[in-house]
Amino acid sequence: MNAGESKVSLSFRLSGILLVAGLCVEAVSLHWVHPIAFLAFFVIGGVLLAAGVLLYLSSLLLHHSSSNPNDTPSH
Amino acid sequence: MRKRSDEERAVKDRGTLETLLVTGEKKQSKANMMPGPTSILFVLLGTTIVLLIVVLARASLTATPAGKILVFLVFFVLPVLCGFWGLNEHLERSKQTAFCLSCHIMQPYGESLYASDPTYIPAAHFQNHRIPPDEACYTCHTDYAMYGTIHVKLHGLRHIYMQYFGTPMNPIRLYDPYNNRECLHCHAGARSFENDTHMALLDQIKSNQLSCVSSGCHDTIHNAAAIGNVKIWRPQE
Repeated sequence: MNAGESKVSLSFRLSGILLVAGLCVEAVSLHWVHPIAFLAFFVIGGVLLAAGVLLYLSSLLLHHSSSNPNDTPSH
Repeated sequence: MRKRSDEERAVKDRGTLETLLVTGEKKQSKANMMPGPTSILFVLLGTTIVLLIVVLARASLTATPAGKILVFLVFFVLPVLCGFWGLNEHLERSKQTAFCLSCHIMQPYGESLYASDPTYIPAAHFQNHRIPPDEACYTCHTDYAMYGTIHVKLHGLRHIYMQYFGTPMNPIRLYDPYNNRECLHCHAGARSFENDTHMALLDQIKSNQLSCVSSGCHDTIHNAAAIGNVKIWRPQE
């Protein structure tokens, strides 16, 4: 496994952990009808989910570029 | 000494209101035994979390084309779906009376819904189910215009910010004078509204030149400052 692949694997795992954490926050917040539950969902859960999804999408791009090193745009 | 008696009264009021709200919620939960969208959302959340853990534990799944599709579903489609569904669920819950009254400053306004006095307009509407009791605040305080719900939700975010990070205004005031449009949304065309007084003043009412609530006609609204002296109605179990 080269450095690029290990970076992809790391970001993939990290995005999974962020998504699990975000979904857990969402599940907990849905047990409570209170403004703090809304804030927890919106601020903590939303940020974790968004970060997880964005990291996954960036790891897809990283994976694509590391598996096709000759795909660099020509000038 | 006065501060302590105020605190004791606040605790007593809170207890009364919580009891009333819990009674209402129990009645509602008895009436609604079917699994709703929230139950489906919980199942979806649980499934997504389990699938995420499985994919994280068995990275070899991602080697096949079918595995790649599964990963895309579990890492992108399902979390985005859960996120938006959860947001919608929270926005729907923010319409609930219990949600609005969970802030301490709203307690006297919640009490006023149970005032045993028919001149209290919110109490008359709430107790006779002229408005949905579980969405009482939202029904009268939303903006029945285009983007009204979004407008109200943004105000709600401001209220949460002021409650936890700022100083809420005391006494609470509306941002703008109460618009007759919110009353007419239900009352216009209703038989009980079609009396001589209303019909004679209809143009002025519709144009807000004459306010329903502050022109001396229906002027006892929440009256939160005096709610401690009013008899409270307790719903039968």
